[in-house]
Amino acid sequence: MKRFTLSIALVLFALVSCKKTEESGKLTVGFLLKSKGNQYFVTCEKGAQAAAKELDIDLRVDGPIQADPAKQNEIVENWITDGVDVMVVACENKDSISTALRKAKQAGIKVVTYDADAQPDARMYFANQATAQGIGEKLIDSAAELTGAEGEFAIITGTLTSANLNEWIDAIKARQLEKYPNMKFVGIRPCDDQKDKAQQEATNLLSANPDLKAIVAVCSPGVPGAAEAVKQAGKKGAVKVVGLGLPSENRAYVKEGVTQAVILWSPEDLGYLAVHAGVALAKDELVEKDAKTFTAGKLGELQVVGDSIILGKPIAFDKDNIDDYDF
Amino acid sequence: MKTYSRELTVGVALLLLLAALAVFAPNFFDGQPLVSRLASQMPALVLAVGVALVIMTRQIDISIGSQFGMCAVIAGTAAASGMSMPMAMLCALLAGALMGVVNGWLVAGLGLPSIVVTLATLVTWQEVLRLWQKGRLLALPDGVQWFGTSQGTGQALVIGAAFLFLVLMAWAMKHLSIGRRIYATGSDTEAARLAGLAPKATTFGVFVLMGILAGVAAVLNLVQSPQIQPNSGEGLELKAIAAAVVGGVAITGGRGTLWGVLLGLMLLVNVNPALTHFHQPPYWEKAIQGLVILLAVAADGIRHKKQKRLK
Repeated sequence: MKRFTLSIALVLFALVSCKKTEESGKLTVGFLLKSKGNQYFVTCEKGAQAAAKELDIDLRVDGPIQADPAKQNEIVENWITDGVDVMVVACENKDSISTALRKAKQAGIKVVTYDADAQPDARMYFANQATAQGIGEKLIDSAAELTGAEGEFAIITGTLTSANLNEWIDAIKARQLEKYPNMKFVGIRPCDDQKDKAQQEATNLLSANPDLKAIVAVCSPGVPGAAEAVKQAGKKGAVKVVGLGLPSENRAYVKEGVTQAVILWSPEDLGYLAVHAGVALAKDELVEKDAKTFTAGKLGELQVVGDSIILGKPIAFDKDNIDDYDF
Repeated sequence: MKTYSRELTVGVALLLLLAALAVFAPNFFDGQPLVSRLASQMPALVLAVGVALVIMTRQIDISIGSQFGMCAVIAGTAAASGMSMPMAMLCALLAGALMGVVNGWLVAGLGLPSIVVTLATLVTWQEVLRLWQKGRLLALPDGVQWFGTSQGTGQALVIGAAFLFLVLMAWAMKHLSIGRRIYATGSDTEAARLAGLAPKATTFGVFVLMGILAGVAAVLNLVQSPQIQPNSGEGLELKAIAAAVVGGVAITGGRGTLWGVLLGLMLLVNVNPALTHFHQPPYWEKAIQGLVILLAVAADGIRHKKQKRLK
């Protein structure tokens, strides 16, 4: 009964907001960053601007100077007062912002989260950068491609108890057993999210496993750490380094040929997708809790799992394209 | 001989570990990885020596990891802004000294307990770093890594500097008045005061020295890679304190040698590479290190009890 009343209320509010849209002509979309000083989010914004141009909407970009949940709440409150049609939000603090977002939803504003989610009931869809499976498979596929799908490989992780990293590692191992039987997993070492420890662990892995062909790092400090170890061991090129990380932190090693591939989703595409989803909600082309797929402009048809729109497989940055990305 | 029993025990344990590696995993002794591994532990050695001196005066400094991180980022920022390497290094040492003055003044000047003071500074410097750097890696200009020389020369310089420092400090502890003052302050502050050994000034001085050493350690770490991570010091305080305790520095002050600290550190930091070379899962690392520390503390406790009974 509660749910029924809620959906009626939602429909009513949706009608109200539609009306407003018709009045003003152009849709107003608020695009909230975690912080303005972070290259990653600045790149997300680029994609959002591209989508805004394509969809002919009024895009308002805002965010704290430095990551600050209280400031994010303040911006959301202001947007509610201003009566924006759509909010696209990357949440610094899941619980703290959810209250404000619920209020926005009640005011008939369409709410989409991206990069970092809010409580599920505080938004309509979450633009999810990648699934655990997508990340794990991309990592092992890259390592396989670089090593000719044979030889020993080791993994450097953040901490042994990190849930999301362990999910990726499970995906890596499952994919390897299934698709690359000639590759051999020789060990996993935690770097405690420290680059220096990653370097020490990689140095040990290299001397303990002289036939090692690849190191896969699933945490971002692990990639440059492993690269420095390979470089100091004089095994540049002989031992491939792939991992999940930011292009800016790995550019030098990639250009030198120590690190072969850095895996990450495209933040630009993530911003683009999130704005498309928000606008589609406002135009009733996308209905809450109902979609199985979603077509986001140039990105084409994307899968929807539950209430997450999956951006798709992450991309690999290598020597040829790493200079195109400045985050 | 009896006085050096801890150093002997730890030395023997280390030799056994190395012997096992020599037999079952001779790759451990390959030249380059061995040198890289040793060089990467030199910052921890400098910190362990520093914190050993603090513990010998019956104080503790758990803010050294944060001090290390601050010094590293300050030196890195200075170098990245175009400052010459010696100037950047000086910035690190000055920053360290300043943070040492804060700790020293609060502990020796105001008489506050060092565990509380340094817990506060640990958190403070850590949060300053977080706000300032937002966790991103800081790229260093060319000419910082290996002091602008080759990898081999750079590593030799790092290892050489750390060991030269250790030898000098060990000599000073034995032959200069600083050693007597530190041991006296730690064994019996009141007696030290009556003997005119100025325990307050000693305590203050030891904290300032600790800060400077955090700067030295940060520099020795900085030159080993082309980037630094702002949180690079997190956890280093525990590593350094554990090395001192395992090496025979009594947590109750007044006792211990710097050679013991070296042995303690080497024993602890080789547990992890040994596990990798024996192809064992990493889950054991912290458990084994914990056990070693526990044994050391237990041995201290037993010794303490025996001494009491003798009295």
